[in-house]
Amino acid sequence: MTTATDPVIVAKDLRKKYGDITAVNGISFEVRHGEVFGMLGPNGAGKTTTIEILEGMRDADSGDAIINGVNVKDDPTAVKAMIGVQLQQNAFFDKLKLSEIVDLYAKLYLAKVDPVEILSRVGLDNRKNAQYAELSGGQKQRLSIAVALVNDPVVLFLDEPTTGLDPQARRQLWELVRKIQAGGATIVLTTHYMEEAEELCDRIAVVENGEIIALDTPDALIDQLLSTGFKPEKRVREATLDDVFLNLTGHDLRD
Amino acid sequence: MKIYLALTVASLKMYFRNKQALFWALFFPLLIMIIFGMMNFDKYDSPNVGIYDAANNDASQALIEALKGNSDQKLLSVSTGTLDELHHELEFGSSRAVIEIPANYGIPGEFAEIKFTYDERFQQERAVIATILEKVTDAVFKETAQVPDEYRVENAIGISDSVITGQGQGFKAWLIPGVAAMAIMQTGLFTVVFTLVRFKSQGVLRRLKATPIGAAHFLAGQLTTKAIVVVLQTYVLVIVGAIVLGVSIGGGRLGAWFDLTILALLGGALFIAIGLAVSGWAKNEETAAPIANIITMPMMFLSGVFFPLSVMPDWLTRWSQYLPLTYLADGMRAITVEGAAITTLGNELIGLGVWIVISFAIAIKMFRWE
Repeated sequence: MTTATDPVIVAKDLRKKYGDITAVNGISFEVRHGEVFGMLGPNGAGKTTTIEILEGMRDADSGDAIINGVNVKDDPTAVKAMIGVQLQQNAFFDKLKLSEIVDLYAKLYLAKVDPVEILSRVGLDNRKNAQYAELSGGQKQRLSIAVALVNDPVVLFLDEPTTGLDPQARRQLWELVRKIQAGGATIVLTTHYMEEAEELCDRIAVVENGEIIALDTPDALIDQLLSTGFKPEKRVREATLDDVFLNLTGHDLRD
Repeated sequence: MKIYLALTVASLKMYFRNKQALFWALFFPLLIMIIFGMMNFDKYDSPNVGIYDAANNDASQALIEALKGNSDQKLLSVSTGTLDELHHELEFGSSRAVIEIPANYGIPGEFAEIKFTYDERFQQERAVIATILEKVTDAVFKETAQVPDEYRVENAIGISDSVITGQGQGFKAWLIPGVAAMAIMQTGLFTVVFTLVRFKSQGVLRRLKATPIGAAHFLAGQLTTKAIVVVLQTYVLVIVGAIVLGVSIGGGRLGAWFDLTILALLGGALFIAIGLAVSGWAKNEETAAPIANIITMPMMFLSGVFFPLSVMPDWLTRWSQYLPLTYLADGMRAITVEGAAITTLGNELIGLGVWIVISFAIAIKMFRWE
């Protein structure tokens, strides 16, 4: 039995090579219960490979990934059964209604859910009879999060959930992530957007060349940088262009 | 089991909502069947005749050879076998007459009565065959008989007629099961290849890999769905074909539909497995399509779908008789045209079985989620 203080994810010295390329080069970290843990880093840094090892989608060459007390390499099926996954390239069956997609995935986990209730959690209940291909980018991302929630996961993995979304849709997704966190889930997410990490994440791991080069809370990381005497090139203004855009176009979702 | 059912139901829904795929699955086979069915290929054939040789001596052999004609002029297409087999062929239309050579044929001093049985519905062929039989018997007798000149053929050989009303229905009836078999191949292979390869390239399969289900669950669901589709398609094609072209199926035997279902399922399983193997190997639609075509195109023409294997050169049929579609088309034709029961189709069932095992082994080896 795990308690709130036990880590729900333990990664120990994970390593993975594709041919000559080292994707993950000794990554270790822990994620606590109820935390939103962010992984940042440029493309090809090893974020997705690390997450896919934790998800049981990919075998590590060495090291251990333990989710909620279960070692992934011992029982990947058990791990898959208790996590929720949003992949970077997600797609769902066409010719099925959204409610049917959610229902099908629930059955794959042998979970009993009300598909419309799950869709309402991500604000898609009014689109329950639509098909996947008819959705906008933001709606597709929200559907894939809805599908990731069908088994009431212990850990939710979100791989670049807001890439390609407009500012309104991104903000709506942030709301959704906070809501899911408030519901008691632990969330691991990757992102390229720093303000997103700052906004959502309790702690951040910065990944570069398959290694974690920094790991702390966003505030602590910023303080560390400032303590070295760092000064931003341009004086930070009170508002950003993002704020301007949202102020002009409104916060309402467009899809 | 619940997971398997959920996947099967979902993929059935997807298939039947895809109106375009449904249309093409039925449109082309029906079009081909009706166009070819309206052409009358029957009249170009040299008539098929079953010859039962009770005498089995030099004289009777000489007669049979003469009836076949020579390379310059082919007279009759001759098949041999037991009397029962030959009468069955006549009954169900794969031959037009049975000629029985009596045991005393060619024995000097004996009067041999050749029995000539024909299908009354094919008077034109009867006349052709009867004339050939008469002329050739006469000629052969004059060449080979070791008898005095005054010993006339009329005194040595007689030809007695007998008539049946067969159920054979010519090329139209022959065509329907072939096209239905071809449609099983096309649907089985192409729908599997295109759905799976699309799912793979879009990442649908990747997402499924992230769930606790195994590949076997998913593939079993796919297999069941496509097998159901293939059987329904076979029913539609055979029924519509029979109505439009005005032929009866399996000599009216109700069990023929059960046998047809079994064969459609076996054929479906076989071509679905080939489809799974191709889609396991191919990364996207562009590489899958040519491979699927390379597999199906030769079989369309070499497996006796549109034309009987007997019109092809021997060196070709020596190979093409082992093709998966040949076994399926032959089996379905035996059931629908010749009124055979599935239990008599040893060759075809073994052939299909071997191909199913080979294809599934390759399919399992080739399957990839992404």
